[in-house]
Amino acid sequence: MRYLRLYGQFLKFSFSRSLEYRLDFWFRIIMDCVFYLVEISIFLVLYQHTDLLGGWSLDQTLVFVCGYLVVDAVHMTVFSSNMWWLPIYVNKGDLDYYLVRPVSSLFFLSLRDFAANSFLNLIIAAGLLVWSILRLPGEISAVNLFWYLFLLGNGVVVHYTMQMFFEIPVFWLHTNRGLLNAFFSSTKLGERPDAIYPTWTRRILLTVIPFLLIAAVPARVFFEGPSIELISLSLGVSAIMFLLMVAFWKLALRSYSSASS
Amino acid sequence: MFVNLAVQLVVLWALWTAVFAESGKELVGEWDLTGILSYGVMVFLTGRVVRGGDLQMAVASEIYDGSLSRYLLYPLHYGVAKYAQQLGNVFPNILQSIVMAACILPFMGSSSSVDLHVTGLLMCMPSLILAHLLFYIMGLLPQLVAFWADNVWSLSVLMRFITMLLGGATIPLSLFPEWSQGALAILPFRYLFEFPTLVILGKVSVNDWLTGLLTCAVWCVVMSLLVIPVWRRGNLRYTGVGI
Repeated sequence: MRYLRLYGQFLKFSFSRSLEYRLDFWFRIIMDCVFYLVEISIFLVLYQHTDLLGGWSLDQTLVFVCGYLVVDAVHMTVFSSNMWWLPIYVNKGDLDYYLVRPVSSLFFLSLRDFAANSFLNLIIAAGLLVWSILRLPGEISAVNLFWYLFLLGNGVVVHYTMQMFFEIPVFWLHTNRGLLNAFFSSTKLGERPDAIYPTWTRRILLTVIPFLLIAAVPARVFFEGPSIELISLSLGVSAIMFLLMVAFWKLALRSYSSASS
Repeated sequence: MFVNLAVQLVVLWALWTAVFAESGKELVGEWDLTGILSYGVMVFLTGRVVRGGDLQMAVASEIYDGSLSRYLLYPLHYGVAKYAQQLGNVFPNILQSIVMAACILPFMGSSSSVDLHVTGLLMCMPSLILAHLLFYIMGLLPQLVAFWADNVWSLSVLMRFITMLLGGATIPLSLFPEWSQGALAILPFRYLFEFPTLVILGKVSVNDWLTGLLTCAVWCVVMSLLVIPVWRRGNLRYTGVGI
């Protein structure tokens, strides 16, 4: 309850701050809309030359892409700004202010800044997802839809966890620009249907670097129905990853030496 | 950078193998599988050179923190001074691209749709130089908006998204629908990534190459003509102590 009240305060501050820079507010909305357009266009062009990709039709792939866009929008809204500031806090020693607060430092640093402008984009991305689902031929199963949305939520956690693995080394390296570039280029692996990858690559992308759990596996569960194997894999891998990340965070905090860090 | 290339290779290979397998075609557009993979690798490497020394937020930051002032005292135009810096930054990218091309291309196999030759490599040089200049000038425009706006990061990223898609950095432009080909040919974006890549892959005749170079040079002039008034008006607003 205390954490929910705190998060409510974060939201209030974030909205008032983002409205101070109105031009930037609109620029960001346009930027994300163009990103959505680009991502969808790539598949529209590909489907000019094939009827199926990774076993999915264009309509199915649109659901997958829009699902990915929703996860990305949630990440941009909830976590992205905080991730941006983390290396700066560590290097300047500003992390001290967060470590002395009577709440989890990971909670505070991950959720403090809510990107209000990206929230509008989240609504647009959600609209695109609804549009893509309505385009699907045949009836939509409520059970499949429930699992799809649930696993997309899990995809948000996986995305956040994976990025944190690339952020945390800043405690030792002092700059994580190269690592973050590696992370952002690696996310491309999750932006394509899972079935296009050969068996071993797919296994690695489902377990070791689980980018396919972000949107591809949820989409597969939506189209093929809930499979115990895929659902338990998704939840199990994301839980293990999250716990490992928390342990990694604690280990990193032990190496933090304040302003001289 | 190597992670970037490795990811690019995995995605390219998986995606296009799936497209060729599921469509049952031997040629997609005018490309066979090896040809389109070569395109994907080469557009990545030439793209690194073209984007080398990307302005990122350099100009906007100097406007915001007031460090632009010292450039205004130099006996050299700000745009030229910044371009000189960008040129210096591009050399590590050129070196990396050459090393990576030497490592990957021998394993690409033969293709009926591309023809890698020294001639293509030599013809590619001026195309790359002009593409780099065009990319720089196009990147300046959103940065100069910093004279008026508090934050232009999103404008620069927006520009990157558009140039990547319409420049052919993601998919060859020849695979885009027929109705869009006219517009894509007129716009400047294709000269950034697709044109130098097609030249290096031996898919551009000498006549088309000369026409392409000339068109790219014209676009550089047109973009400069757009930048100059924005720069002048922005300078009038500049306070010298940061905005």
